Amino acid sequence: MKYLNDELLNKYIDNELNLEEKELVKTSIERSLEVRKRYETLLKAHSLFKSLGEESPSIDFTKLVMNKLNKKSVLAQQQKYFLLSILSILGVAIAGITGYALYQVISSIQPSQSSEFVTTYSKDIGDYVSNLFGQKNLTILGSVLSFIMLISGYFLYDYQKHSKKDFSH
Amino acid sequence: MAMKNLTDAEIIESVKKGNQADYSILVDRYKNKAFTMLKRMLKNDFDAEEVLMDCFLKAYNNLSSFKFESKFSTWFYRIVYNSALTRLSSAKRKIENEMSSVDDLHYLESKFSADEYLNEEKSELIKKMINELPPKNAAVITMFYLEEMSSEEISEILQISVANVKVILHRSRNLLREIIEKRNLVQEIL
Repeated sequence: MKYLNDELLNKYIDNELNLEEKELVKTSIERSLEVRKRYETLLKAHSLFKSLGEESPSIDFTKLVMNKLNKKSVLAQQQKYFLLSILSILGVAIAGITGYALYQVISSIQPSQSSEFVTTYSKDIGDYVSNLFGQKNLTILGSVLSFIMLISGYFLYDYQKHSKKDFSH
Repeated sequence: MAMKNLTDAEIIESVKKGNQADYSILVDRYKNKAFTMLKRMLKNDFDAEEVLMDCFLKAYNNLSSFKFESKFSTWFYRIVYNSALTRLSSAKRKIENEMSSVDDLHYLESKFSADEYLNEEKSELIKKMINELPPKNAAVITMFYLEEMSSEEISEILQISVANVKVILHRSRNLLREIIEKRNLVQEIL
């Protein structure tokens, strides 16, 4: 009789053989004591693996996971609000600079065509912005803006890094 | 009670809509099996629980990128398997793993046939043997027998061929058979 290797016996157990192969293995098991012994022991190994139960982590594991998730979402929200407030401050600063630049352009190009109303308010805003960006305040404002940009840059980088790390898994 | 009968996809949809608490159903559903796999791969409870916690947090954070192209279990076990490998990559363990490759299980066969384990209970012996299996073999055995996954699913998780999964599975089974034969456990078991 042709020698029946373990590979065929394993495939027979896993029901991966075609009809012809199945018949060959079945006949070999019935006719040969050696093959039957090998098959039965292999089948027992299969049953033993199957009988091994699952194990469980600590009782409060689910609670621990959910607590961590809650903490994380609160932190993420705080970070989001922080970023939003920084972006708002930057937005206001940019709007101020743009306004000042516009006032300078309007007052230098068409001073005679501007109505008195617009001129008065533009002058007020211009004076305020000029004062704000005056030599005295410019250094302080520049430092504050740089600081804010550095902080927001750091948080943006940190946020990007975490997102990248999460997606890599 | 009805919530527990929801499919994974339904729970994920609910979590994505903002019902964070529903994620606990998924945690309850997968924690034991994933813990068993991690324990068999990492060989200790503490590391297994720590890595498992990390896996559930990672899965939650990346839930928005889960597009239902595969089953959640396949996706989640890939995170579990990769996280276990990352933990195992610490220097000492790496050397041990390299020494016990998929192709070399003979050291286990002789180890568990030795007199030292003569008085060991059968079930304890099997557990100890599984604990000594290389991580990849332990993962395959757990997914195949405990999770009742197909070789195709396992190959997708481990990123290896289906044929390779079968080789690992058959070698692990052959190893246990050898131990049963050498320890004359056949009569006791049959």
